[in-house]
Amino acid sequence: MIIGELTEFLGKVPPFQLLDAPQLTAVAHSVSMEFYPKGTLILKQGGKPSDYLYIIKKGGVRVSRLTADEGEVTIDYRSESDLFGYLSLFGGDKARASVVAVEDTICYRIDRAAVRKLLDTHEGVRDFFLKSFLNIYIDKTFKEMHDKSMSTSAADRIMFTTTIGEIASKDVITAPDSISIRDAAGIMCQNKISALVLNDANGLPSGIVTDRDLRGKVVARGRDVNEPVRYVMSAPLIRSDARDLCFEAVLKMIRYNIHHLLVIKDGAMCGMLTNHDLMLLQGNSPLSIARDIEEQQSVEGLVGVSRQVNGIVGMLLKEGARAGSIARVITEINDRLVRKVLEIAERKYGQPPLRYCWIAFGSEGRKEQTFRTDQDNAIIYADPASPHEADTAARYFSGFASFVRDSLVQCGFPLCPADFMASNPKWCKPLKSWKKFFSQWISEPTADAVLNSVTFFDFRAVHGEHLLAEELRDTLCVQLKDRKVFLGYIANMAIKNRPPIGFLKTFVVEKSGEHKDMLNMKIKGLAPIVDLVRLFALEKQIRETSTLDRIRSLKGQHSLVDEFGDELAQAFEFIMLLRIQHQFDQVTKGNIPDNFINPDALTNLEKKTAKEAFHLISRVQDLVIERYKHMIW
Amino acid sequence: MVSTFFERFWQKGQIAGSLDPETVIDDVRFVVIDTELTGLDQRRDSLISIGAFRMNGSAIELGTYFNRMMNPERAMNPKSVLVHGVTPGEVELEPAQKPILAEFLSYCKDAVLVGHCIDVDLFYLNKELRSLHGTELGNPAVDTYSLYEWLAGRGIVRPQKASGGASTALFAIAADLGIAVASAHNALGDAYTTAQIFQRFLSLFRREGITTIGALLRIGDPAGGGTRALPAGQVSNF
Repeated sequence: MIIGELTEFLGKVPPFQLLDAPQLTAVAHSVSMEFYPKGTLILKQGGKPSDYLYIIKKGGVRVSRLTADEGEVTIDYRSESDLFGYLSLFGGDKARASVVAVEDTICYRIDRAAVRKLLDTHEGVRDFFLKSFLNIYIDKTFKEMHDKSMSTSAADRIMFTTTIGEIASKDVITAPDSISIRDAAGIMCQNKISALVLNDANGLPSGIVTDRDLRGKVVARGRDVNEPVRYVMSAPLIRSDARDLCFEAVLKMIRYNIHHLLVIKDGAMCGMLTNHDLMLLQGNSPLSIARDIEEQQSVEGLVGVSRQVNGIVGMLLKEGARAGSIARVITEINDRLVRKVLEIAERKYGQPPLRYCWIAFGSEGRKEQTFRTDQDNAIIYADPASPHEADTAARYFSGFASFVRDSLVQCGFPLCPADFMASNPKWCKPLKSWKKFFSQWISEPTADAVLNSVTFFDFRAVHGEHLLAEELRDTLCVQLKDRKVFLGYIANMAIKNRPPIGFLKTFVVEKSGEHKDMLNMKIKGLAPIVDLVRLFALEKQIRETSTLDRIRSLKGQHSLVDEFGDELAQAFEFIMLLRIQHQFDQVTKGNIPDNFINPDALTNLEKKTAKEAFHLISRVQDLVIERYKHMIW
Repeated sequence: MVSTFFERFWQKGQIAGSLDPETVIDDVRFVVIDTELTGLDQRRDSLISIGAFRMNGSAIELGTYFNRMMNPERAMNPKSVLVHGVTPGEVELEPAQKPILAEFLSYCKDAVLVGHCIDVDLFYLNKELRSLHGTELGNPAVDTYSLYEWLAGRGIVRPQKASGGASTALFAIAADLGIAVASAHNALGDAYTTAQIFQRFLSLFRREGITTIGALLRIGDPAGGGTRALPAGQVSNF
């Protein structure tokens, strides 16, 4: 009875929830229960080390440390089903921090020997204590989240669990690229294949010829079938590693608009993956939507297809995809949609008078879109040679951009309330104007300039002449060198939103208004990470714009990223997934998606992980404050 | 063989004498007990079950509890069946008292015994121990009801107006302290409730500057500690 009550309680507390029933019962038998009236000093920093691992049954404690310069600093509040004492249990000869009961508190206590035994015999428990909470627990939390809201079948998860090597056809037919088109077609018929890999004179794969090539480049154009097939083959050959997951292949097929991927294993060709293989694997898919988009010739057609994109989010959630993967797939699809709209606009308005690049920024620039967010886009066009050319370009792009804006609205991308859109003449400029904007914002960081910087510096080329965007990026990177003052402003931005950490039993949430008692996951969780990582990227002039890519690139270059990068990435993915799930639920119910989550709706593990994530953000913010302390206000 | 063991270690008074009254409460081992009886006839009635928890200072050990039902070797009083729900049929299947009492003696060792109106428990335990083993529990004992009266008399805990006397007071006190009572009238459950009340009381005594076992034993004396003066009929321990 008493043990049953105890095992039931422990069964919901990480890491004990990893134990099976007999293991839990064994642990329960070494548990004692102690009562600490409010104000009791349970552990004293520098005093006797803890003899127990404490699990709070009821009440709450404050964990604090005495520091030389700041005096007593509260590190954390812990509440029901939180642990404390494990660091000093094994971490040496004295307690690391002081723990005081802030209300009447009842703790379960497990003695050192029993905890030691658990660590020795249970890998999951060992991981929990010895490795970073976030790194290990994130996977379990993801699993729990998926299990909770989705009925996942084995087949559903297949895209994210199957490697390309597993489903690629192994027998790839090859032929020299010097044979005739007719002979190549003959080999394809004979072997009943839709694509033939062609080798160059050295026997290395140089290209591929597919049914589509034969139809489009040969038959439709009445080409002589005796010409060498290499004149009509598609090159270069797009490859995938056999060890990559299938969804990576989907990304590549969408990006390059192809249906065949050469599969490479250990440097050698080992097979061929077709879109057909992938469709067999999963039925309705991001790939089929991408194909639908490709086939549309009008904005009206695109509107229909774009409605299916939200469904993709649901499907990816069901498949157990991580938030970063979902965002990448959605970004590829949205990019494709935007490009198609731009192609339609180019046809409608005629060839642009100057080369141009359509750029996206904000979450779109960071490839972190999930559900449709506001349009954030601009045009960079090549510098005009004369005033006349400048006039012509300004007129052309003005009409062009307005058409694109309205078309995108039809496709479900709402207008940007701040008018950060290419249709705004201010954001449709030749390259030299953009360079001037950027250098001005950096050298005179007014409030507006800082806001513009954090918005536009996440820019990314979507369509057109990518070189223009690259050149702007080059200029930006040069401009950012040794700009301490500007970076100080960006640092202030990155520490402005403090995540909620001082909570007992529940989160500190919105205090009033429509979203009272709700937690804003975007402002309190995602934005601080994005802002911090952007700051680091600007400090080191990293070209990447997505938060996760920035973290990857900064590895080995930035000490804070070396120390906290992995955890920040995990925290980011976790909070993002919470948000995607929340928004997906809202969209499914026909509501407008928002960022407000009710903390009570989270499971213990989710709460704990969220809390860990918030702690991490707060810690990194503190380190940023330390680094920029003369410029923080 | 069992009796020689007890003869060596459990002679009345021996243990009480070995405990230094200046010992700090935190260093004392307690055993919190509760028993269920066939009835309250001191001549005829006997033990049905014993439930107990060990405590180290104020920490309750949850895994080392003692929980035994036994054949009372006497007819059960039908009225008591109504109270604790143990039917004669159930106890007939239980082992005899003698080995269980031996087990209980070694469970208690030299601990200070704690119980709610513990004199009643001790009366029946010692009655059977004398007749079956020729010994008695010589351990010092603390009555949580005596502790309660002392605390209530000084306004440290709220006095409870329990209609059924001292035994129902147990649940009123628990409720007042916010202790959830899982299953009342079961020896182990009541011992658990008593242990939790005792735990809270210890924190209150600490605040009052009462930190030695000697002082605690004086206040919690089962024989008229506190300010108790109850009519005999009300000293029930169902």
